[in-house]
Amino acid sequence: MVVCAGAFAVAGCTKNNATPDARLNEMLPGADTSSNITAKYMGNFGNGPFGSVTGAAKIYLVNGQYTLALENVAISNGPDLHVYLSKELQPVNFIDLGKLKATGGNQLYTIASMPDFTLYKYALIHCQQYNHLFGSAALK
Amino acid sequence: MAASAQQSPLPHINQFADGAGTIGSSEGSVAASYVHNWRLGKKRKWEAGLGLRYTGYFGTKKDFRTAPGRLARSTTTPFIIVFAGQKTENWDTLTVQRPFINSVNLSVNFGYNFNSKWSGGFNIDLIGFSFGRKSSAVLTSNGITRTEPAASTPAFNVLLTGDNDYGSLNSEFFLKYKLNDRWGIRAIYQFYFAEYTTSTVKQTAPDGTIVNRFRNKANTYGAGIAYHF
Repeated sequence: MVVCAGAFAVAGCTKNNATPDARLNEMLPGADTSSNITAKYMGNFGNGPFGSVTGAAKIYLVNGQYTLALENVAISNGPDLHVYLSKELQPVNFIDLGKLKATGGNQLYTIASMPDFTLYKYALIHCQQYNHLFGSAALK
Repeated sequence: MAASAQQSPLPHINQFADGAGTIGSSEGSVAASYVHNWRLGKKRKWEAGLGLRYTGYFGTKKDFRTAPGRLARSTTTPFIIVFAGQKTENWDTLTVQRPFINSVNLSVNFGYNFNSKWSGGFNIDLIGFSFGRKSSAVLTSNGITRTEPAASTPAFNVLLTGDNDYGSLNSEFFLKYKLNDRWGIRAIYQFYFAEYTTSTVKQTAPDGTIVNRFRNKANTYGAGIAYHF
């Protein structure tokens, strides 16, 4: 019984849950050939109560689809970090864009729906497992 | 030779304390129980009785589905509900980030003694109470995600068969091998109904019902050790 519980505890705390410590360099399609892709909304990240985030969040509309770009970001690592578009600074109503790909660099997250950015006005880096906000950017 | 051929029947009473642990996909449990069984029949092969069981269930990022039987299944008729069709169109998902439930329940136990060493059986919790850690959760409803900051486990458990059940209830199928007169070991398949309720965000079912009960049916496997009195 103790062995069983111990094995589970170890499995639950592995680094599988952490974000890769790496710098990505993802670019919008056509960004290297066209200079007229402009952000629809943007904001700079600030630290949340449980982590540190620097860099910018920008919303692009390319070929009829919104994309959230995290540009030149540096994010303190943590378990189960997700990228949200949220109506509130502390997320209650949000769109989960998936797990944070890496703790640094330039990253792109496809937004499957067409959200109203007057409602979803924050980009968040959020630790889902512990409900801890690492950082936020108000999109304007 | 004659003595071994004519074995004495098993005692009328089978009392034991048992500890068990099981593990599944991102979830597990520990259990401790006391069982008092009466052996039945001329050869006392069958046994049945009552027990008291503590179960601790824990996991990481587990999905709990809409719990009320009326919404989850096509019928709520007791026992029939176990085999009834699933109304998945009514299901929403509450992903509980760090579920941890302690439940203490009265259990009913059934067993069959194949011989003096080997036996098998089934047990299931009937009624009791639960307590546990509050956990943040994410309710996904029609593609919309909302944060529940403090999902909690309901305090009361009762077996009403299938999705009619309330609360958190343990059940096991097991095979036991007696090492000697006192000690036995078990191989266990466990089916655990775990329930969490939300307080801030709630599901609105297609018929307008407001739902705050969500259930995870955990399938886990494990082992146990029993001490016979």
